[in-house]
Amino acid sequence: MPDNKLKIGIYELTGCAGDALLIIDCEEELVNIFKAANIEAFLMAKSDNNDEVELDVALVEGSVSTEKELEELRKIRKRSKALIAIGICAGLGGMQSYFLDDKDWAKNLKAVYGGVEMIHAKALPSKPIGDFVKVDYFLPGCPIGKEQFLSTFARLLAGNPPELFRFPVCVECKWHENDCLLNKNILCLGPLTAAGCGSVCVNHNLPCVGCWGPSEEANRTAEYKLLLEKGYDPALIKNKMANFSGTSITQFFARLKGETK
Amino acid sequence: MKKITIEHLARLEGNGGVTATIDGNVVTDVKFLVNEGPRLVERLTLGKTPEEDVNLVPRICAICTLSHKYAAIRAMEKALKVNVGPKVKLIRELMHLGEMVESHALHVFYLALPDYVGFPNAIAMASKFPFEVKIALEMKQYGNHIMKTVSGRYIHGENPVIGGFGKFPSRDELVWIKNRAIQFMPFVLKTVKLFAELPYPDVPESETLYACCHPPDKKYGIVGDEIILSNGDIIDVQDYKNLTNEFIVPHSFCKRSQYKGKPYSVGALARVNCLGERFEGEARKMYKKYFNARWTKNPLFNNAAQALELVYAFERIPGVVDEAVKLPDEPLVLYSQKDGKGAGAVEAPRGTLFHAYEVTKGLVSHTDIITPTAQNAEDIERYCYITAQKLLESGQEEKIKDRMDLVIRSFDPCISCSVHTVQVKRAPEEDWKTKIAALKTDVSPVIIGIGSPGHSDDAVGLELARRLRGQGVKEVWIEDEALEKSGAREADERRPLLFLDAVDFGERPGKITIMPLQHAAWNAVLSHRLLPLVTSQISFDQLKNSYILGIQPASLEDGEQISEPVRLAMEQILEQLKN
Ligand code: SF4
Ligand code: SF4
Repeated sequence: MPDNKLKIGIYELTGCAGDALLIIDCEEELVNIFKAANIEAFLMAKSDNNDEVELDVALVEGSVSTEKELEELRKIRKRSKALIAIGICAGLGGMQSYFLDDKDWAKNLKAVYGGVEMIHAKALPSKPIGDFVKVDYFLPGCPIGKEQFLSTFARLLAGNPPELFRFPVCVECKWHENDCLLNKNILCLGPLTAAGCGSVCVNHNLPCVGCWGPSEEANRTAEYKLLLEKGYDPALIKNKMANFSGTSITQFFARLKGETK
Repeated sequence: MKKITIEHLARLEGNGGVTATIDGNVVTDVKFLVNEGPRLVERLTLGKTPEEDVNLVPRICAICTLSHKYAAIRAMEKALKVNVGPKVKLIRELMHLGEMVESHALHVFYLALPDYVGFPNAIAMASKFPFEVKIALEMKQYGNHIMKTVSGRYIHGENPVIGGFGKFPSRDELVWIKNRAIQFMPFVLKTVKLFAELPYPDVPESETLYACCHPPDKKYGIVGDEIILSNGDIIDVQDYKNLTNEFIVPHSFCKRSQYKGKPYSVGALARVNCLGERFEGEARKMYKKYFNARWTKNPLFNNAAQALELVYAFERIPGVVDEAVKLPDEPLVLYSQKDGKGAGAVEAPRGTLFHAYEVTKGLVSHTDIITPTAQNAEDIERYCYITAQKLLESGQEEKIKDRMDLVIRSFDPCISCSVHTVQVKRAPEEDWKTKIAALKTDVSPVIIGIGSPGHSDDAVGLELARRLRGQGVKEVWIEDEALEKSGAREADERRPLLFLDAVDFGERPGKITIMPLQHAAWNAVLSHRLLPLVTSQISFDQLKNSYILGIQPASLEDGEQISEPVRLAMEQILEQLKN
């Protein structure tokens, strides 16, 4: 029987499956998710996956790192009205996009696999999906957060675009009434990192390591200046940010540099 | 030729699958493929601080996130000479047990059970087993809850760090965890009964070697500074390479392991085989009641072993909490060491996980990570091969697909192994010609003729070798020479070896089949002459690179004559191998 429920597909490229697993870990809500929409494909949760059907929304986890994945991604894009990158691997490239220079990447690939040519899939330097297809929205996080995922899902059902936090982790940290770690001379990436996790690391007395990727708020220059004023070396900050920012690190710091001039 | 493909399989390392190739009456190849792209984690951690490494490596796999974190922390603490206090050790054990409960509950009830009770998936199974499905979900939630309480998040929590924890769980949180564990016990015991009594088929049965962490104090456990093998060997974790001997196969981005040239298995079944006698309490009673010789050779019993470990975990958790709440929270252990080298091992739910690092001037200068699936890959292939070959021999070809599924899934490579497509394909006739051509493109193979003269078709390998020599083909050996002069070994290690032999596949006489030598070693139908040669004369690297070209004989009776169909086959082979 035809119904007017949204058709949704959830796909995994190169990553750790954390974003897909997080959706499964929504346990109680998972049943309702399956009821409220038609989940046409979700490799981790079901076996009767339909890989032909036209989708209203495709959620894609992971970066592109083989030719096969690129092909798959293009097919998904073609049959989806909207495409959402879930997690920083899909959105920014993730830790595997650390080697920004293709030659550097090739050298490192060789160091791991010797000269052995893989017969099943040609490896590509890992890139975020937005480098190849149009991405309509990006849910950040490593992995994405349950709250943001569920609110995004609910908004989609109502026909609304996702609405994400446009401020850094610091704001959430204040909500949790933590003592600022920078005052204790601990380098915390909270000021530069997108919020959404609930400042969970700082709540555990640990510095934010930037796993939600760079924050896009208007005030980021001031935040960055604050770190510089504290005496932190820009190279050190950049190195730490690079761990989870994937290919976005270059533009992020180029913009910061421009703005701090 | 036929191809059975099981795609989209192993979540642990990404998407994977199994392909089995059948040529007539013989399985010529089985490949466990890991399709996911390379992430180069071992390279991108270089130049990072030890703390950054511990942040990054759990992202290898969301399902074993805490095992990765714990193994990395153990390795780093070894390298940097950090000694943590008793409470840190207990809370780490708790988070590790939480991960095991989560993973085992999901695997036994949601992925394995539907196969045995005849349902396509857990949701469908709920109609007949509503209670099991509900409790299993609660168990999984409980495991998740422990992981979140201790690590800070369901997935990739950052609270466990080198030197301890950012913050300890509160007394109330710990007591809640303890009480909930006690409530689960009656159901957990039923779980063992259910899984130990399932009708596991005999077919994949075959001896293997098991390995796991060797916990101290004669206790059962899931970490250790040594590795124990089911043959009694003990290996220091710092010497883990003596166990894992990694190598690369061209069909997978996940590296492989063999111990002394043999595949070995890790995981719950390995642990129960190596350490089962150490169980205490209810786990011991259950172990005594159910463990038997079939558990030592049938990978399907991994489900039963996981159920036993659930009992262990639920009995151990209250003990851990009782000890932990008596101790004060310990401050982070700070360190000043800037250089060092160390390996750490933990038992991830699906087997032993190694992390090894070298730190130079405060930055990581070497990283080595060996996952359970990498270690199991060889045995997964081998058991799939045995399954396919035995079912084929007993005329149950239609069962191969499902049975291989069962075998792979029992290894619990990861959770999306619940979903995959299986295909059966006929591959082209005369596949051997294509394979030989491919072999010859790199470097020409060393050819070794095997056989015994005076037994009609059994001389075909020798005869072929002689004629190839006559035609001026270099590097052709004849069985005895290869044995005497160690000719095979002296040949360039990188060159493939190609054995020519009469092989009884139960096929039409003259049928030519090529298969990797590695499979031949597992295949009972193959010539027994080959085995001593293989084991005594060939290095492991060569074994991986060698093939047997078999010709189905018409007769092996006494006699000088080679039969007509085999002669024709000989001509074809000569044509293919010359120049
Ligand atoms: S973004 Fe993080 S959680 Fe998601 S796939 Fe990548 S590594 Fe895993
Ligand atoms: S690293 Fe930062 S963004 Fe990631 S969970 Fe911790 S506080 Fe949140």
